[in-house]
Amino acid sequence: MFANRRLGILLLAPATLFVLVGFIIPVLILLAGAFRTGDAWSFANYTAFFSQPLNREVFLRTFRLGLIVTAVSAVLGYGVAMAVVEAGPKSKGRLVALLVLPLMISPVARTYAWLVILGRTGFVNVALTSIGLTDAPLRILFTETAVFIGLIQLFFPLMVLPLISSLENMPRDVVPAARVLGASWFAVFFKVILPLTREGLVVGGTLVFVGSLTAYVTPAILGGSKVLMLETLLYQRVSVANDFASAAVIAVILIVMSILTNILLKRLASVRRRR
Amino acid sequence: MRFAGNTLLTLVLIFLIGPFVIICIAGLSGGETLAFPPQGLSLRWVQRVFEIESFRSAFWLSISLAIGSTLLALILGIPAAYALDRYNPPMAETIRNIVTAPIIVPGIIVGLALLRHLVVPLGIPITLALIIGHTALLVPYAVRVVSASLINLRTDVEEAAVMLGATRLQSFFKVVLPNIRSGILAAFIIGFITSFNQVPISLFLTGPGITTLPIGMMFYMEFNFDPSVAALSGLLAIMSLAIVMLAEKLLGLSRYV
Repeated sequence: MFANRRLGILLLAPATLFVLVGFIIPVLILLAGAFRTGDAWSFANYTAFFSQPLNREVFLRTFRLGLIVTAVSAVLGYGVAMAVVEAGPKSKGRLVALLVLPLMISPVARTYAWLVILGRTGFVNVALTSIGLTDAPLRILFTETAVFIGLIQLFFPLMVLPLISSLENMPRDVVPAARVLGASWFAVFFKVILPLTREGLVVGGTLVFVGSLTAYVTPAILGGSKVLMLETLLYQRVSVANDFASAAVIAVILIVMSILTNILLKRLASVRRRR
Repeated sequence: MRFAGNTLLTLVLIFLIGPFVIICIAGLSGGETLAFPPQGLSLRWVQRVFEIESFRSAFWLSISLAIGSTLLALILGIPAAYALDRYNPPMAETIRNIVTAPIIVPGIIVGLALLRHLVVPLGIPITLALIIGHTALLVPYAVRVVSASLINLRTDVEEAAVMLGATRLQSFFKVVLPNIRSGILAAFIIGFITSFNQVPISLFLTGPGITTLPIGMMFYMEFNFDPSVAALSGLLAIMSLAIVMLAEKLLGLSRYV
């Protein structure tokens, strides 16, 4: 550590000022707008927002999809992470690269691929009708299923990567030891592997959950106006109806959820370290 | 058990990667509408991508925006990371929270906030707002990645340089910067990809004539069902693949992800 604190402040000032003026202040003004009706402070915007059945439905759907996507990614993630770790160091590098790769590709391109696969003349429908399973093409696009599929593909890597590193940090002999002592695979997973990799699960779970709650591209392309989520609803309220009060309410919900989940993450991670 | 694990791994990889293969094939279609399997193979839609004026201008805006905002984020972020790591400034924790805050806030909110409370009241041009929004998003990445490489660089090499007569500034440019080069390059690549692929922040900050490529694609696909977006998506996927492979070769990018 160097002594010259004034120089330190000088070096920090540009980034701090930039983020304050170009980011934090505008966002805070926007959030404050959610608590203002006319010239007074109130919660009226919230009661108005939640009195609309459509808004309640979108709110619940966003959370439901977020939880399902997180749970399914976690279950698949453990299976995949264990297979990757068992594959040995040489093929591990290649497998991790394959898992990281989708993260680098434009979400629009990634999601558009599902239009080609799930659309009326897409891969799945052509396959199903040609083997005679269905007569008419199934409607998969613009359903919650389509959004679910898109979100899983988008966020699965964020779950599996922390799980892989947690599994690697787990002592090597605990699983064989538990097996020798007579534990079933079921017990080994829930009593040994799960507690020892909790940190990775929490990190991955947070990334996937917050990512799904705040997703825009996937619900916009695969859900359209039939399957709105909070972000697509926000966009619609502003661009169609100039309804900035609802937009501010949604913004508050999303930010509070995102910050709460991040605090929870830090809590859970530090509890584990203290033990 | 092992067999089941490998089967699952294969299926998941097909699920993750397969769509890109399908979109590349769909982009090579010779037919008029988007379909899989495609009606005949040809390069006409790939060629068409380069002829669509809105894609061309959006591509150049996205490229310049990605390079400009990443450079700006590094210019702001490198000194900040350095000061946080070496100078023990007052309220270090608060400042770290401030400069990394943009990562927590959903992009669509940032875009709307900038539009309503910076562009409209102050009358700044919308392209400048795009640069501000993207740079704010990238500052946290720059600070984090550069901090990570600074922690691995021992302070005594700088002390040695200073003792041998270098000024603080000289020791920073001649000793510190060359040593954290790969961290800076990694931050640049991550920043570039993040900005280039960014949708939510740009959503409210684009208008007629000023559109980034991902948003241009989303608008185009709302009204057109031809395979040109598939061809463009395939091209973008190949471009990302090339960047990632180059980065992996140069510095093992997977260490930073």
